[in-house]
Amino acid sequence: MLMCRDLARIASDYIDDELGVGKVMSVKMHLLMCGRCRSFIGSLRASIELMSAHSGQQVNEELVRRIDERISESLRTRNAGTTKPE
Amino acid sequence: METTAYQPEEEVLVNNLKSGNQKAFREAVRSYTPGMLAVARFYLDHASAEETVQDCWVSVIDAIQTFEGRASLKTWLHRIVANRAKNHLRKNKREISTDFSETLDPELAERFAPNGRWAKPPSLKSNESAEALMENGALCKCLDHHLSRLPETQRSALMLYEAHQHKSEDVCNILDVSASNLRVLLHRARQKIFLMVETFRETGEC
Repeated sequence: MLMCRDLARIASDYIDDELGVGKVMSVKMHLLMCGRCRSFIGSLRASIELMSAHSGQQVNEELVRRIDERISESLRTRNAGTTKPE
Repeated sequence: METTAYQPEEEVLVNNLKSGNQKAFREAVRSYTPGMLAVARFYLDHASAEETVQDCWVSVIDAIQTFEGRASLKTWLHRIVANRAKNHLRKNKREISTDFSETLDPELAERFAPNGRWAKPPSLKSNESAEALMENGALCKCLDHHLSRLPETQRSALMLYEAHQHKSEDVCNILDVSASNLRVLLHRARQKIFLMVETFRETGEC
């Protein structure tokens, strides 16, 4: 029988639909009977969504500026090399 | 029939990059650098990762001509960074050590009784949505703090899978980990975030 600790080990696999049919049934049966694990799965799911919404667009401005400068310089050099003298 | 993996708006960007359009490069650098840095940080320390990402972008000026759209631009860029970072590792003879043997976070593991039931159950309500949590600015700052303290391997896996929406298969290829090890990295990272949110909601402290 699946215990709470076993469920906590495979909670992410359950959330991401990465478990086989038999295991999913065991988890669902356990969740029917266990409010604590329902709370855990729900909270873990909310934490995942929070992180996805929050962490995607953090830009390191200083790094971006340095990259822009290096690209500009490389493009200038390249274009200078391909420009034919009149 | 060969199909392209990228979207029409990406096709416009790629064509502009191929023609050496500086504005297009600025747009691409801003959009794709966070993910590229997450890939590099899986393998390298902070300074080397930033250097590798910069070098990658310079190489992309020429390499973009060979881009055929068999993968998305994001996946293509992430693979370039991963290859460069791996070469850097090989040159410096460094290896990544990660423990994949235990899926439970030690702090969470301590909350179970010997019989496998919860001894200290979750205190968060299961119906709290991400939107409700996001409204708390202090919580978001705390999340930043904890994300920055995650082991690099966990954070990179998390960033690529959750924030940059790569498929598992792509993350495994880019980070050179097996599917089962990726599952461990993701689950360990998610538990840390769950514990952080729980502590914050319980005590108001980060």
